[in-house]
Amino acid sequence: MAGRWSGGGGGGEVVGSIYSVLALVLILVACVELGDAATAVDVYRLIQYDLSGAPYGSRLAGLNHHAGAAPFAPGADLSRTVVILPVRELNLTFLQEYITSKQPLGGLLLLLPQDIRHKSAGGNKSRNVGLLRSILSELEQLLIHVNLPYPVYFAYEDDKINAVLADYPVYFAYEDDKINAVLADVRRGDASGQPATATTGGYKLVVSTPEPRKASSPTITNIQGWLPGLVGDGTTQLPTIAVVASYDTFGAAPALSVGSDSNGSGVVALLEIARLFSRLYSSPKTRGRYNLLFGLTSGGPYNYNGTMKWLRSFDQRLRESIEYAICLNSVGSWNNELWLHVSKPPENVYIKQVYESFSEVAKELGVSVGIKHKKINISNPRVAWEHEQFSRVRVTAVTLSELSVAPELLQSTGGLYDTRHIVDETAIHRSIKLVAESLVRHIYGYEGKNIQIFADNSSLAVNPSYVKSWLDLLSRTPRVAPFLSKNDPIISALKKELSDHTDEVHLQHESIDGMFNFYDSTQATLNIYQVASVTFDLLLLLALGSYLILLFSFLVITTRVVLRMISRDDG
Amino acid sequence: MTVFHFFNCAILTFGPHAVYYSATPLSEYDTIGTSVKAAVVYLGTTLVKLICLATFLKVPENDSFDPYQELLKALIGFIDVAGLYFALTQLMHRNISQNHKFQAVGLGWAFADSVLHRLAPLWVGARGLEFTWEYIFQGIEANANLVLNLSLAALGSLMWLRKNKPRTLIPIIYACAGVLATMPSITSYLRRALGWHPPKVVAFELASSLVMAFISWQLFSACQRPSI
Repeated sequence: MAGRWSGGGGGGEVVGSIYSVLALVLILVACVELGDAATAVDVYRLIQYDLSGAPYGSRLAGLNHHAGAAPFAPGADLSRTVVILPVRELNLTFLQEYITSKQPLGGLLLLLPQDIRHKSAGGNKSRNVGLLRSILSELEQLLIHVNLPYPVYFAYEDDKINAVLADYPVYFAYEDDKINAVLADVRRGDASGQPATATTGGYKLVVSTPEPRKASSPTITNIQGWLPGLVGDGTTQLPTIAVVASYDTFGAAPALSVGSDSNGSGVVALLEIARLFSRLYSSPKTRGRYNLLFGLTSGGPYNYNGTMKWLRSFDQRLRESIEYAICLNSVGSWNNELWLHVSKPPENVYIKQVYESFSEVAKELGVSVGIKHKKINISNPRVAWEHEQFSRVRVTAVTLSELSVAPELLQSTGGLYDTRHIVDETAIHRSIKLVAESLVRHIYGYEGKNIQIFADNSSLAVNPSYVKSWLDLLSRTPRVAPFLSKNDPIISALKKELSDHTDEVHLQHESIDGMFNFYDSTQATLNIYQVASVTFDLLLLLALGSYLILLFSFLVITTRVVLRMISRDDG
Repeated sequence: MTVFHFFNCAILTFGPHAVYYSATPLSEYDTIGTSVKAAVVYLGTTLVKLICLATFLKVPENDSFDPYQELLKALIGFIDVAGLYFALTQLMHRNISQNHKFQAVGLGWAFADSVLHRLAPLWVGARGLEFTWEYIFQGIEANANLVLNLSLAALGSLMWLRKNKPRTLIPIIYACAGVLATMPSITSYLRRALGWHPPKVVAFELASSLVMAFISWQLFSACQRPSI
């Protein structure tokens, strides 16, 4: 038996069985899907939408190209390059040129600075932030109003960019530095005059995501709460005052559109006003002879589509009982001046009354409220302010805002730069106080008297931690209406909060009017691979081939020739 | 392209074994059976080693270097020597010269080691999009390992098969074999305790294996001369 084993035939059998086992193992391994993501970065896609049939935004989602960074040689073909642009050093004219000349790009990756996500420490940065803010809003307006036939993504820069940019070897870079390391490396490659795709290999950026699909019948949800006044003395119908704020946002990157100021600040102010008045109205002694209607409306960026549908759902009696409506829009980052936007001439009795009560309280608070009159044009579909929807159904309404001019369509709707750090909590406090005091004076007939109902340190004071916590929550939650489902957590949270303070809270689900169509896949994961070029592998093959040939010749010479010579000598 | 890279790395890892077999007289004397048997012995040895490692070693919580554990690991590493001893002395070989026997055993040993330790990572890793130097280093490591194993087998055959060798050389032979057997522990020490980076470690392995091979060759030829 042992003899058979050591025989040549036995060896062959063993070899054969080993081969078959090997083949089996190889087949098994080949079946395992490779999860070889080198570095994964969260990226946020530029919005993709159709506006009355015309395509806008980034039209593609899948990405699989080499990375490249500016500056490029003029006339360079970038149709197979993902251009990485840090917004911090963005050259808008360069981008504009590319977009207007319709040059094809493999893709565009915009790096947002961390500053806009975290509160920056130190005062010297505030000017920087201001500059950044204007760049970002310009960039946003540029990107959402053009049709880009390639994928466009946003990602956050990492903290240690400076360390990385200073010749820091990529090999030892920290994992979360990867994107900056990539950028630095790509730049170094470009600076040495070689394009990334030639011999140096470079980086490949891959986003594998399905083709974006049209969001099916996007809904908008309005939330309404009701605080009934005290009915008595034979009056059956009390007048109503409505406080309204639009809560949804729109921005270049839907997954980043948190809209802290527009209109998170308005929502926070509305919730706090509802809380204050619910305390006043909880006792019959202090319940006013006005009904209060609170409305959190959706569809704000789309000509206040939700507000229109909400108003249409009112019955005639309710609509007529509304004495006036106050719409809150962007009240979180002003210094000294707020604007009261109206669509009836300021000489109008009701408008005058509202304006006077506001400016009176404003004087006591040491701020000023200006009035701006803008006529509405019924034939123009553009609705710049929320109160204009009220005016269209002949309800007196005003918008309180820090913005002095009416925004264009999809402007100032809570985009990229509109994050938590630009909102000033004290500004929101003052706005809340201003609105609440003027309302209370109107409701209880204290006009012209200097009485502070919601004085600080009283039991009815504005609660800073309540304001802060809601502001923080809203600043974490992107709220682009088409991507919010009917029972999205944020909608449920708002509904629950309003129902804690008011009665008869209900949701109204509507669909956005047909002008807009949205596409999904707003978020994705970007995989960054460091790749070697084909040339490198060819060279490697060449080197290996010559190494093996050399080894072969060396072994032949040393073992056969030399040994034979030795044995011949010995023989 | 990535499959291309995989082939490159595979050539670097397994090519030298094939070249060694075909270039040396091993192919003339058809010693593949010996190599295969050595590979089977390697498999068994590795199994025993694994069982020992699993029995005596704690699972390290972090990647730090624990001298006691490493010592234990080095001791367990000597099981390799036992396996090699078995392959060289106990297995029935067709009557090939000692000269060829140790080469065939060393080759089979190194090849089995490469297949077992390097083929799977190579297949999984080198076909990915991501390029790293890791697999090229691994291939170079395989080369160093081949040289190392051949030297160890040569010294083993000197120790166990050759009867009449110069007395003065015996301690040197044993010392060299000891160094060769602890080589894996040494590189592990360099990598983990001193934190050497892969290029440095691979360069060290290559250099040390070449030096050891040279010493072993000198010893081998020194032992050969008086016997003839």
